[in-house]
Amino acid sequence: MENLVLVGLSNVLTFTNISLILGGTLLGLFVGAMPGLSATMALALLLPLTFSMDPATGLSMLAALYVGASYGGSIAAILLRTPGTPSAAATVLDGYPLSQQGQAGRALGISLFASFIGGTLSGIALLTAAPLLGVLVLEFGPIELFAIAVLGITIIGTLSQGSIVSGLLSGTLGLLVSTVGMDLVTGTPRMTFGILNLFSGVEFTVALIGLFSIPQALVLIENAHGTQKLASKITDKLIPSLRELRRLMPNILRSSGIGIVTGLIPGTGGDTASWFAYNEARRFAHDKSRFGKGDIAGVAAPEAANNAVVGGALIPTIALGIPGSSSTAILLGALMVQGILPGPNLLTDYGDVTYTLIWAVIFANIGLLLVGLMFTRLCVSVTRVPDSFVACAIITLCVIGSFAINNSLFEVGLMLGFGLFGYWMKKSDISPAPMVIGLILGPVMETSYQQSMLIGQGNLGIFLTSPIAVVLLCIAVLSVLQATPFFRWLRGAMRGRGQVE
Amino acid sequence: MQKRGAFAATLLSTLMLSGVAQAEYSAGDEIKVLQGFKAGGGSDALAQLTQPFLRESLGAEFINEYIPGAAGAIAWTRLAKQSPADGTVISITNTPMLATNYIMNDAINYSIDELTPIANVVTDPGIIVVPEDSPYQTVEDFFAAAEERPGEVTVGNSGVGGDDFFSTIMIEKATGLSFQKVPFQGDGPSATAALGGKIDASFNNLGNVYGHIQSGSLRPLAVFSRERLEVLPDVPTLVEKDIDVVAGSSRGYSAPAGIPEEARQELIAAFEGLKDNEEFQKVAQERAMNLDILTGDDYGQMMQDMEVQFEQIWADVKDEVNQ
Repeated sequence: MENLVLVGLSNVLTFTNISLILGGTLLGLFVGAMPGLSATMALALLLPLTFSMDPATGLSMLAALYVGASYGGSIAAILLRTPGTPSAAATVLDGYPLSQQGQAGRALGISLFASFIGGTLSGIALLTAAPLLGVLVLEFGPIELFAIAVLGITIIGTLSQGSIVSGLLSGTLGLLVSTVGMDLVTGTPRMTFGILNLFSGVEFTVALIGLFSIPQALVLIENAHGTQKLASKITDKLIPSLRELRRLMPNILRSSGIGIVTGLIPGTGGDTASWFAYNEARRFAHDKSRFGKGDIAGVAAPEAANNAVVGGALIPTIALGIPGSSSTAILLGALMVQGILPGPNLLTDYGDVTYTLIWAVIFANIGLLLVGLMFTRLCVSVTRVPDSFVACAIITLCVIGSFAINNSLFEVGLMLGFGLFGYWMKKSDISPAPMVIGLILGPVMETSYQQSMLIGQGNLGIFLTSPIAVVLLCIAVLSVLQATPFFRWLRGAMRGRGQVE
Repeated sequence: MQKRGAFAATLLSTLMLSGVAQAEYSAGDEIKVLQGFKAGGGSDALAQLTQPFLRESLGAEFINEYIPGAAGAIAWTRLAKQSPADGTVISITNTPMLATNYIMNDAINYSIDELTPIANVVTDPGIIVVPEDSPYQTVEDFFAAAEERPGEVTVGNSGVGGDDFFSTIMIEKATGLSFQKVPFQGDGPSATAALGGKIDASFNNLGNVYGHIQSGSLRPLAVFSRERLEVLPDVPTLVEKDIDVVAGSSRGYSAPAGIPEEARQELIAAFEGLKDNEEFQKVAQERAMNLDILTGDDYGQMMQDMEVQFEQIWADVKDEVNQ
């Protein structure tokens, strides 16, 4: 075992592999920064190029690409209010306000360091705990997944900036849209109006791009001739101060933990993890009012989490041959093409290749820090362009991105539809974030509920048979109660008693 | 994606410069392959396996176009209804999905009559697997449990309309048993649920669970092939247990109906050539793909048999599923 770890390390430390890791990271950074092009898509596109490579080299490059794209998504999120990847959607909430306040550099710097720390920690977790943690994954079946989805849905309450009612409205709309498509149990198409393109449901990236990016572009055009200052500019330092990093460290460590665990669970990835981490960062903050207006903690949390997902998602992939996210599913495909069968023997029979992959993840994070420091500066050029051009560029990227998902124009039209709807939401002060949560978690919740009901012969008591599910559901109930008058009364009563004593 | 196609074409032609003298495909020097699933999936794996070999024998470039959605139906509708029938456009066709799509949904209106079957290439046989700590040691144990508790033994499948879903029904009909069918989104999640003991058994495909069988974390009870499999000589087939169910998930190539006979013959000959290409066999084995090459009218017959069989099954169970 020890030997294989060292063999993997020496495999990575060759000139070709290190340069391909750096190249992969840089490519990932670019791809991640382009709205609509997700890490998964980049991996799929690059995959055929690795067929002729040596397994270790090809996998190192793919892993580096995955790591790079996980950070790259935040660049567009912070500078353009356009999440480059689905997992950067939470970064928009505080990242963009920060860049408007002239602190784009600070936001990007924190994002980079948080990504680096999250990614490296998850790489270390992968190296040390893969065989142990892998077993945990199997504990998560439909029943437990349902509990996770319910807990996730309670985040909607926290994310509704301003009016709770409008937040709930937005979240419910997301859940509603997520029901479009074929029913899992009966195979009946729902709300598809006979349109084949809707049979697999509304592609969630399409909705995401439309809801966040198009309204932003339209607003930019509206203000293009005004006297307003440019949308964003990196005027400040990129490298954060030690003091700031130390202050954010508990947050980054917590978010990395959330990322690793969320990555572990099959069916949830960077998109879910970043919202969970954002929510927890807010829950632990002293001054919650600053969230959504440009709190640096709101950037650190989702970015640490979505990079930590990389290592987390690879744990079940490597230990059990079960991909923890759609991106790792492609990495698994890459292994198969190299003649390596997925399964528990990845760590033994194919240990040399597997440990190379693990080391590549760790080195890719170091590469990310270097490449990020050099490349992110270049983003300044984006902000020198007049607003109206930026707006056109955003719309162009949105169109390309949504077309690339299924190679069809239908998705482009759908994206524009969501864009107009998002514009109306923006004008009516309804946050699109809860809608995105609904879209992400709706299918998970529905599928796992239906499966649980089938397994439990239609008895709701099935949810109480799993300790994991019970704990998660209790946290969800507490999370909801926390927002009700009952909890305020309870807190008041306890405080009152405390004073009496 | 035009650009990507062009890039791929450039890349491929660069690679080809070193190639040997080639036969000329009569329909043109480019063949577009419509894929109904995302890049990197099972269909793509088939494309990466076969197309490099076909390129040499046909002397034509293959350009993959990925049009995912509606379980492949978008790509197959495009193939049947909107593609030129001149041999320049073909598609990877997955059976039984190709037929069950339109049998189950009125909104999907292509049919196999609008296609020219070229060749089936791989078949991943169906298999019953149970967790390693399952009380069921043999397929008899398993069926006995289902007899004792009708409709309570939980059985995972890859989704309504997939091959495992239909093979479960075929087994139910052949044995008179009834299982609690639990659909998952694909073979992977169904196998994972069995690994974790969340379901009693998973009706899956060999290629997806072979690694787990080798390591002992899943136990195979029976395979749905006609003969025992070389890789699992100790696992009985259902046929030898007097249950006449042979099923699996197959992938091959089809063109639109009415392509020129010359092009059809050339394509079929290219696939026939794969049958005794040793290098091809070797690569397929390395990638754990179970070859089942069936060309031209034989492939057409296979599709028609499937259509009849699944139409009947669906007519029988439709109301039960939709209640």
